[in-house]
Amino acid sequence: MADERTVLELRGITKQFPGVLANDHIDFDLRRGEVHALLGENGAGKSTLMNILYGLYHPDEGQILVKGEPVRFHSPKDAINRGIGMVHQHFMLIPVMTVAENIVLANEPTRAGVLLDTNAADRRVRELSRTFNFAIDPDARVESITVGQQQRVEILKALYRYADILILDEPTAVLTPQEANELFEILRTLTREGMSVIFITHKLNEVLEIADRITVVRRGKRIDTVDRQGATEEGLARMMVGREVLLRVEKPVSDPGDPLLTVDDLHVFDDRGLEAVRGVSFEVRGGEIVGIAGVDGNGQTELIDAITGLRKAASGRVSIAGRDVTGAAPATVLDRGVGHIPEDRQLRGLVLDFSLAENLALHDYDKPPDSRWGWLFPRQLIRRARELLTQFDVRGGGPQTRASALSGGNQQKVVLAREIGRGPSVLIAAQPTRGLDVGAIEFVHRRLVEARDNGKAVLLVSLELDEIISLSDRTLVFYEGEIVAQHGPDVTEDELGIEMTGAGRKVAAA
Amino acid sequence: MSVRVERLQAARTRATGASTIGTVGIGLGLLALFLALPPVKVRTAPLPVAIGILAIAAGIWAFTRGERRLGGGAVVSGVAGIGIALIVLQANATRLEGVFVWSALIAATLRYATPLTFAAIGGMFSERSGVVNIGLEGMMLTGAYFGAYGADVTGSWVGGLVIGLISGALLAFVHAIFTITLRADQIVTGTAINFLALGVTGYLYNQHYGNNGTPENLPAIPDVNLKFLSHIPPQGLGNFLYNSIGQLNLMVWLSLLLLPVSYVALFKTPIGLRIRSVGEHPKAADTVGIPVYRTRYAAVTLSGALAALGGVFLSIGFVNSFTENMTAGRGFIALAALIFGGWRPFGAFAAALLFGFSSALAARLPDLSASNTAAWPLLFQTLPYVLTLIAVAGVIGRSIPPAAIGRPYVKQ
Amino acid sequence: MSGLSGEPPDMTGQTPEVSEPTPESTVPSVAARLALWQRSGGVITPILTALIAFLIGGLVVFATTGKDPVNTYKAIFKGTGLSWLSPVSIHWHLFYPAGIHWTGWDTTSPTALNLQQTLIVVTPLILTGLAVAFAFRCGLFNIGGNGQYTVGALVAVQFGVWFAGLPGPLHVIVAMLAATLAGAAWGGIAGFLKAATGAHEVITTIMLNWIALWVGSYLVGFNGPLQDPRAVSAPVTRPIADSAHLHVFWGNPLLQGLHVGFFIAVAMLFVYWIVLNRTTLGYEVRAVGFNAEAARYSGISVGRNFFLAMAISGAFAGLAGSIDILGWEFNLDLTVVQTVQIGFIGIAVALLGRNSAIGIFFSALLFGALLTGTSTRNLDPSVFQPQLAGNLTRIIQGLVVLFVGADLLIIYLWQARKKLRLPQRKAAEQA
Repeated sequence: MADERTVLELRGITKQFPGVLANDHIDFDLRRGEVHALLGENGAGKSTLMNILYGLYHPDEGQILVKGEPVRFHSPKDAINRGIGMVHQHFMLIPVMTVAENIVLANEPTRAGVLLDTNAADRRVRELSRTFNFAIDPDARVESITVGQQQRVEILKALYRYADILILDEPTAVLTPQEANELFEILRTLTREGMSVIFITHKLNEVLEIADRITVVRRGKRIDTVDRQGATEEGLARMMVGREVLLRVEKPVSDPGDPLLTVDDLHVFDDRGLEAVRGVSFEVRGGEIVGIAGVDGNGQTELIDAITGLRKAASGRVSIAGRDVTGAAPATVLDRGVGHIPEDRQLRGLVLDFSLAENLALHDYDKPPDSRWGWLFPRQLIRRARELLTQFDVRGGGPQTRASALSGGNQQKVVLAREIGRGPSVLIAAQPTRGLDVGAIEFVHRRLVEARDNGKAVLLVSLELDEIISLSDRTLVFYEGEIVAQHGPDVTEDELGIEMTGAGRKVAAA
Repeated sequence: MSVRVERLQAARTRATGASTIGTVGIGLGLLALFLALPPVKVRTAPLPVAIGILAIAAGIWAFTRGERRLGGGAVVSGVAGIGIALIVLQANATRLEGVFVWSALIAATLRYATPLTFAAIGGMFSERSGVVNIGLEGMMLTGAYFGAYGADVTGSWVGGLVIGLISGALLAFVHAIFTITLRADQIVTGTAINFLALGVTGYLYNQHYGNNGTPENLPAIPDVNLKFLSHIPPQGLGNFLYNSIGQLNLMVWLSLLLLPVSYVALFKTPIGLRIRSVGEHPKAADTVGIPVYRTRYAAVTLSGALAALGGVFLSIGFVNSFTENMTAGRGFIALAALIFGGWRPFGAFAAALLFGFSSALAARLPDLSASNTAAWPLLFQTLPYVLTLIAVAGVIGRSIPPAAIGRPYVKQ
Repeated sequence: MSGLSGEPPDMTGQTPEVSEPTPESTVPSVAARLALWQRSGGVITPILTALIAFLIGGLVVFATTGKDPVNTYKAIFKGTGLSWLSPVSIHWHLFYPAGIHWTGWDTTSPTALNLQQTLIVVTPLILTGLAVAFAFRCGLFNIGGNGQYTVGALVAVQFGVWFAGLPGPLHVIVAMLAATLAGAAWGGIAGFLKAATGAHEVITTIMLNWIALWVGSYLVGFNGPLQDPRAVSAPVTRPIADSAHLHVFWGNPLLQGLHVGFFIAVAMLFVYWIVLNRTTLGYEVRAVGFNAEAARYSGISVGRNFFLAMAISGAFAGLAGSIDILGWEFNLDLTVVQTVQIGFIGIAVALLGRNSAIGIFFSALLFGALLTGTSTRNLDPSVFQPQLAGNLTRIIQGLVVLFVGADLLIIYLWQARKKLRLPQRKAAEQA
């Protein structure tokens, strides 16, 4: 319903991609000074809708009205000129450039028409920072400031261009709970000043905290728009998903045996020469799943790299089943009985141009029966592949299908088949369900629990707290390279969330 | 302040002490070298060797403390200093004087460096915008031919300059079409450009000039005669200055002018900021409304024009003729100079000077031996290429290219 | 940029999931793209690419000399001797045959001689093409074929001069082996630098080319250590001993007949295929060439494979150098050292041949034929000047390489379009 308070209206927006109807005649409106949440699962069409609003895509049908006037956006520049600013989920910042340079890019203040006026840029950035209480140093390089600060730079980019409509795409995905609260404060300040905010998310709890109105989108269609008053988590969830979603995995109680993976006072440096893992010690016993919880970038990647031999640890020890593998090459570590499901299956887990049989042989191709004295036996590869593919219910192709032809879920199954099928004693899974649909997630979870029940030691690193909580027998919380807390199987998201910010150990950065 | 920022700053302070030692090391190595040469001409080995060893030591010290670039440079400088000093000590003293005429060497260095400078700066714009330009060699060659041809046909060197410049820009435009719009592999395309340039210039040269070659009286780019320099007292200094920089070609001076201009353009103007943003993070640039494709097209075309200018200097400013494949790999050396110089104008120029010096020296070295037909000076022709190998291998530290270089940008 | 997590897990099962890598995270290597092309375009695309290149070449001929390009190409073709392969000769009137007569296979006719010449040139081209292709398979661009060839030739000449007492076949084998190892070492330098320091192999191999050229010039030129003391006025090495000559099986050995090196080159095509598809080394090389990160994560040593791939690549090129010396040159001349181009042509051969053994054979045949057909010896100057024709060949090579790069994209897009339609089917298949 449009009234004088409406600053933005989307009518009947439709967008078709090859094979999928991303937006199906969606209506949406935004009032001045409100925070309007766009809620929906991944793939529901929220990002597409906002990309259309920001001029990155063109709608097939529908109209956009800004302050009552119909507009056509051909590029982000048009949207920016109309006062629309967007903070993307993956920041659009240039790491080697300073904050000021990033903010003024494409709208640079000039001296004598030709030269860059860095002083003017600095001044304006400081002004804006002060107005909204941001505390950002304009001369700092973006790569050296925190994620929370980077996000604020993104917001400043929009404010610098006199945006009065701000779109935030999954802004809390990269923030600790503390930083998220700070963000909400900023949003409240902005709306008090008359800005209107569209907040895209799939997290129900956030929506109830910050939004004035909530529009739920599912499979490209708008389901309903409700006021915060009277909305409940269950009601919203049902609208989002349309069915009951069970995330808890049924699993028997664990019965751990001997420690199969031992990490002792490990110190690891990251690519920039900073210490990413600072004296971490823990063990994973056979028959248990240990989950590592933490916001991305706190050293989990470097820890896994050091354990699997992809990165040399500066000091400390890693042992597999009692044998020291510190500093060993990845091939050696894998041979000692470690299975590694890497973070990014397309980049690190599979060779997409290889057939499934060749992919499944990635570890053991140089041993009999796959090869002998350097001579390869492709038929043997295919035979073993056939077994594994059936065992792990991989669909979409046979042993000689190229890996790139499979869906994401099936590709992950291939990775699992390879790693678990070798019978390792230790299984390391880094974000194993990223980008997968519910069915595939259930499959992966089942296999991990199965491995545990077969006496393997499973180390799970995940950014999804509910996955950690539902799978782990023990949970370790990682913060700035150290383990700051340990929990048994019964732990709540809130507890973990607080510990992930290091609360209780130091005051969080402003 | 965040812990992360603190840690970065600590890492930075650790480095500064080592960097001074590293720089000192480089200086010591050069000193070892110069001691053996005229005008000092120390004739005994121990002194240069000792200083060279000090240089190596300083280099190792700096290297292990994190200053890899300066430390490596000091080690190389020390080794080179000792090596060259020892070689020079074998040579006849008077002939040494004949070879190491510093004023002539400086002039020759600048001349050899000029085409490298033009091409390297051109390459800088292209690579800073994210497009690898292996085709600099071909663009330079094209400029060389069309500069000569243009000068011949229009009867003036200005005509040659303009036509040469345009030819390079056109060739680069082709490179841009294939790499930016058609998203072909940038190195494969660059190699194709080099083949094409070689074939086209060879074809046109043979067809137009056939067996006789380019005319004797090809209009040449004038030298800039700074006679006043020779009048500067004392007489020795005046002559030295006049002989070294008083008779250089106009293009040499233009290349020097290009340095501050390109520096300001790339680092102090909005256009430069946008070019760099496109090379670092094209998606981010796109979302603030910068036209990524158009910016890259412009940068690549400019790189071809500049590289061609280097070629034009070669044909109508340096040797006053055109022969097939006369660029002889200079385009690739320019690329190496660019990488060596960290994709910055003054750094690339310093590298170009180094390569120019080695070429200049290699040309004079045959005069060092007793007979004119000795073969070993030919080995010195490998010097620029060996230096490039060392540079690119990162012994002198690894330089960091623009983040998005080499990847085609896909607009939604 | 630190601190960014991936997207939240997809829970609907209906995401338009494109299973190809995102443009920002990975760019397909040349190996991957050429493999893609092989799978999708088959044999049509290379033929089409070559045809378009010839077409443009013909336009250049017409535009610059006013001559009829068809006649020019015909004259070039005549010089290649390829028509000898067909026992019938067809007389064309415009575009349809006007007369067909039987010529049989006269092994001593001028056409036969031309064919021998062509195959002599094809031999090293196969090998330099294999050199470039093998490196491409590992994701590396070996532009150093010229230098590796030169190094191989230098070593072959010396080994041919020494060991004169050895029996024929043994002498030949020793010389070829030494040359192959020399080429492997020369290529291995670039591979080592890439593995140890990340130095880009394009720059290092080009530098090594020039170093080889100048070192070779020093060795073989006036007063150089390898110069023939009896030929004071010519910068050429001593001729190799008779026992080091490769056996000539067709034609007159005194008039550069076709030698068994041709069969060695063809045998190398099989070796190439076998190494890549039937050995663990080949498996590793292919894995690294397609996705070095995934290979690293699986324990494959990327650096070791970079080194080995460049070394094997250099070995092929070094072998080419030795075969030319032992087969028909018998000594090394300064001009030869300074005008080596065969490594560069090998790039065109490999790209047009899509890095596949069969493709390289035909591609080498094409470019070898072009080279012979446009040589001063075989091309009638009244129809078209050989110097121009030589450069025309370079232009055609350049065009071929240029178009290989571009139509890869078309295939790639075509594949991507096909993949985007998959989700509808996959959604039905999913667990």
